[in-house]
Amino acid sequence: MTAPLFNKVLIANRGEIACRIMATLKAMGIASVAICHRAEAQARHVRMANEWSEVTGETPVAAHLDIAQIIAVARKHGADAIHPGYGFLSENAAFASAVADAGMTFIGPDAKTIALMGDKISARNFAEAHGVAVAPSVMPTGDVDDFVEKAAAIGFPLLIKAAAGGGGKGMSIVRDAQGLAQAARIASGEAERYFGDGRVYAETYVERPRHIEVQVLGDGEGGAIHLFERECSVQRRFQKIIEEAPAANLSPALRDEICASAVRLASAAKYRNAGTVEYILGADGRFFFLEMNTRLQVEHPVTEMITGVDLVRAQIEIAAGHGLPMTQDGVRIDGHAIECRICAEDPERDFMPETGVIRYLGVPEENWLRFENALTRGQKITADFDPMLAKLVAHGSSRDEAVDRSIAALRELALLGVKTNTDYLAAVLDHPAFRAGDLHTGFVAMHGDALLPASLSGQEKAQVLAAAALGFREFRDLVTGTPEPHAAIGGWRN
Amino acid sequence: MGFRLILDGEEHEITIIRRRPHLVLDIDGEKHEITDLGSDGDGRHELGAAGQAVGFARATHGNLQIVRLNGRTHEVALVDPFSDAGDAGGALDVLRAPMPGTVISLHCKAGDAVRRGDPLVTIESMKLQTLLPAMRDGTIAEILRTEGETFDKDEVIVRLEAESEKA
Amino acid sequence: MRKIQSMLSTSSAEFRAYEAHNRRILAEFRERQEAARHKRPQRDIDRLARQGKMRPRERVEKLLDPGTPFLELSSLAANMAYDGDSPSASSIVGIGVVSGREVIIRADDPSVKGGAWYPLTVKKIVRALDIAMENRLPVIHLCDSAGGFLQLQSEVFPDRHMAGRIFRNQSLLSKMGVKQLSLVFGHCTAGGAYIPGLSDYNVIVRGTGAVFLGGPPLVKAATGEEVTVEELGGADMHTSVSGTCDYPAASEEEAIHIGREIVAQWDRPRKWDCQRETPEDPAYDPEEIYGIIPDDIKKQFDMREIIARIVDGSRFHEYQPNYGTTLICGFANIWGYKVGILANNGVLFNDSSLKGGHFIELCNQNNTPLVFLQNITGYMIGREYERRGITKDGAKMIMAQSCSRVPKFTVMCNGSFGAGNYGMCGRAFDARFLFSWPNHQIGVMGGDQAANTLAEVKINQMKRNGEAVDQAAVKALWEQTRSAYQEQLSAYYATSELWDDGIIDPVDTRNALGIAISASLNAPLGDPGYGVFRF
Repeated sequence: MTAPLFNKVLIANRGEIACRIMATLKAMGIASVAICHRAEAQARHVRMANEWSEVTGETPVAAHLDIAQIIAVARKHGADAIHPGYGFLSENAAFASAVADAGMTFIGPDAKTIALMGDKISARNFAEAHGVAVAPSVMPTGDVDDFVEKAAAIGFPLLIKAAAGGGGKGMSIVRDAQGLAQAARIASGEAERYFGDGRVYAETYVERPRHIEVQVLGDGEGGAIHLFERECSVQRRFQKIIEEAPAANLSPALRDEICASAVRLASAAKYRNAGTVEYILGADGRFFFLEMNTRLQVEHPVTEMITGVDLVRAQIEIAAGHGLPMTQDGVRIDGHAIECRICAEDPERDFMPETGVIRYLGVPEENWLRFENALTRGQKITADFDPMLAKLVAHGSSRDEAVDRSIAALRELALLGVKTNTDYLAAVLDHPAFRAGDLHTGFVAMHGDALLPASLSGQEKAQVLAAAALGFREFRDLVTGTPEPHAAIGGWRN
Repeated sequence: MGFRLILDGEEHEITIIRRRPHLVLDIDGEKHEITDLGSDGDGRHELGAAGQAVGFARATHGNLQIVRLNGRTHEVALVDPFSDAGDAGGALDVLRAPMPGTVISLHCKAGDAVRRGDPLVTIESMKLQTLLPAMRDGTIAEILRTEGETFDKDEVIVRLEAESEKA
Repeated sequence: MRKIQSMLSTSSAEFRAYEAHNRRILAEFRERQEAARHKRPQRDIDRLARQGKMRPRERVEKLLDPGTPFLELSSLAANMAYDGDSPSASSIVGIGVVSGREVIIRADDPSVKGGAWYPLTVKKIVRALDIAMENRLPVIHLCDSAGGFLQLQSEVFPDRHMAGRIFRNQSLLSKMGVKQLSLVFGHCTAGGAYIPGLSDYNVIVRGTGAVFLGGPPLVKAATGEEVTVEELGGADMHTSVSGTCDYPAASEEEAIHIGREIVAQWDRPRKWDCQRETPEDPAYDPEEIYGIIPDDIKKQFDMREIIARIVDGSRFHEYQPNYGTTLICGFANIWGYKVGILANNGVLFNDSSLKGGHFIELCNQNNTPLVFLQNITGYMIGREYERRGITKDGAKMIMAQSCSRVPKFTVMCNGSFGAGNYGMCGRAFDARFLFSWPNHQIGVMGGDQAANTLAEVKINQMKRNGEAVDQAAVKALWEQTRSAYQEQLSAYYATSELWDDGIIDPVDTRNALGIAISASLNAPLGDPGYGVFRF
């Protein structure tokens, strides 16, 4: 066996993605280092790692954003590379620089590329300059009135967004001039709060837009390939909840066009690492560049399932200077994959986050199913982190099969003790519009009521009540604690 | 005797009609045969109901049973009809000193709305300080001792407005 | 064990005639029982409702675990006494399951004369507590009684087995470790106050429950003090000041709930290990018993046919099938429990007496409870049988039976006359439970025999005195004797006087015995005295 590409990799993340990365590290013979806040010392990603250290901070999230501390921990453990996962510091150019300065490998693009793509405006300009279609837009000028005037000029509806950041924070749709100024101010405030950068910009809002993104791999020398697209149109609160690959009802010509566009951008940026180029696709087939995510994506497993490529492994190989693991011709689509994000939230209360304790976790096991998680029984689900608890990813030979399998797995999944969107996801998948592939980012709002649970039949109620009653100690004792022959004689009276 | 359960905000009655050869439950006046109870405790179980096996997962969460059955998750609460056992009646209107002692501090004043368990008075007796909590939700009608005053066992220290006065 | 091969023809005219006869008897029994249980003056029903009280039977039902049996004892006690003023002797007694524990429940019935205790009420309560002692059964008292029925105080108060016995038994039960719980729903006055007072646990309902030695009127009369019921013996006073009561309850429902929680704390009994198999229903329909018992007590029937309709799978291992054939002995199972059955199939002769004594010894050696199915006219009399020592042989059977260490159960199936009653474990022989069928008759002899005997004595007396035999006077004596006997021979009279633990429908025999046997196993077996004598 040849020497591993790295000796030890620190994962500057937590939860399911930390576990996901460690699985590949283990398969590659590379030791792993986990970090955690005190609140998570018993977490699965900590127990799964070869070594671990605590990081401190005012909040658990702050601890995970503390660059100096994380670098120090990596040093202490003798790590020679750092994998940032997604979120947290994964698209932080300063972090990438700090890792490089510390003499370690950052498993991701260089700081310059992160900075370029991290700023929506520079990214957009770069894309436009390299022949990637962008939506008509207006840049911030620092003067709200001026911004409002220019924005109004490109026509409504408009989408207002934060220049730095993503995840739907600081985003809103404006349909007329009246609401524009206020929306811009609110968006700016939110952007300031979340990203420390209050700049916002506006662009043409595409009606019934589909969110299509292309997975790319770049070698950092201008070599780039794509691993086809994903569709992530089903969103709530501007965040994806269901993703699939490939996109439904996409003509081969359009697929080629979009994928080629993404490769062009990655190549031009001399992009190194796995990355994702996001597009908005209109009903008319026009698509516009949205942004490029310079990291591993939450929904990467759907691509892995249809291409058979281990994207984390590819990231590590590229970071180690081994170049692209395959040529474009070597990437083929096999079947269809769907990812459902299991979140601690209440779909009946506008997807508000929920907290609780995992009292029972029952996960279906199938060779076509991946359940990406770091959950353990007894684990407290707090508001400290993102409400996403796990990802359920199912593969099928066709989209229909993938949908059916996903629904079956969601129904069987039992994650008890915190309210989740599990049943809601199944309702989305089972909706005729979803099955028909009639998707757009307004899907959830449009089909809202039809996606909420139907009332229970009398039979179902009785089953639920019986099952629940038998779980109560008081009732079960009464059922099972009767001596013989009295239990056998029953309610007899003489 | 029966049990009352709450599912989706509705109250249901459940009781046992028979145990052999299999369990027969009366749920809201209808008979249901349970041929297999499934095992005890949290986890995946199978219920034999109406001659058919129904798989479900169940977990205890505080006063709730969380049941996942037929691809849906439900929370079911058990109604305890006598959760205030032994506390009912006029005795709840007054807070009496459990032992002789001195008032160290008052945490409420007349007219305050209090909830059961809220601290009302700290007393000291036999070198031990004790916090006396509100015995029910209500409004403070009167406080009969001030800080530093002494009292005997069973003396009334705080009086709540009678339940009827609220209406 | 072999299955009994029934010889019964259910299509025979005889079967149908017997069945019609016995179903009529059963209908009368059910009618009397229904009246004793539920028929009350409307004003008493209204009064209870006004006081917010449940009917006593409702209290019992709410106390029991749902879907479990209740074996009510002596439901027709006092049915032929006090002009019917004390139905069920103003109390409910029975064995049931509360919070998974076998208990005996004793409830006052405030719907008759305020729950006052008649002499037979006291007898019924004492019997209930005797059952508790003999079988180590925890007792739950549902108290709601005005106290002793003062007009009959001489029959309630002074003697050894009268009211004081209740409190003596309560004390001894506690010493034996047999728990008692009182739920005080109404007043417990004078002696009645000691029922909760001597219970290990008690609960009292606020507002309606009260415990005191003398009620407010008595206090006023004795000392002039004016005091309210609540002050004198109410729930709050007793649970917070005197400590006489343990738990206050806001309502009857809550008192029952607390009571169930208390019982749930009790240690579960460790019963002795009676041989037990998986129960099996009888192979023959128990309702066929109605077509087996003849319409005339003088007609003989085969007791094996009855056994076949009581025991598991109708399986019976008959002991000494060819010897002493007027007494059937053998092993069977009832609700799984191994039992030894002795059943009369005719008068007891020397050989049947010896067989019975021997079989009783075998059961004692084998730790097998005994079940006696009585249909006995007595031990055989006459010169020949006395010469063969019928008295001596009967004495052996009585000795073996009396000294048994295994629990005994007796069912009065049809007739119980003379000394046969003794050998077959009549009431005096401390069967743990003794039940009668509604057709049953019991007496030292039958009505005809008694009338004949007394008429014979009368004629002899007249002849001795040299008088002419006054046929009219003899006939009058005969009629009077027969009719007096007839009334007192009936099962209703016997059960009214608590000579048994209740009349049961023959079809219920299996369940009643199952519950009775189960209860009996709570008390430990004594040590064996001797080995088995082959008489």
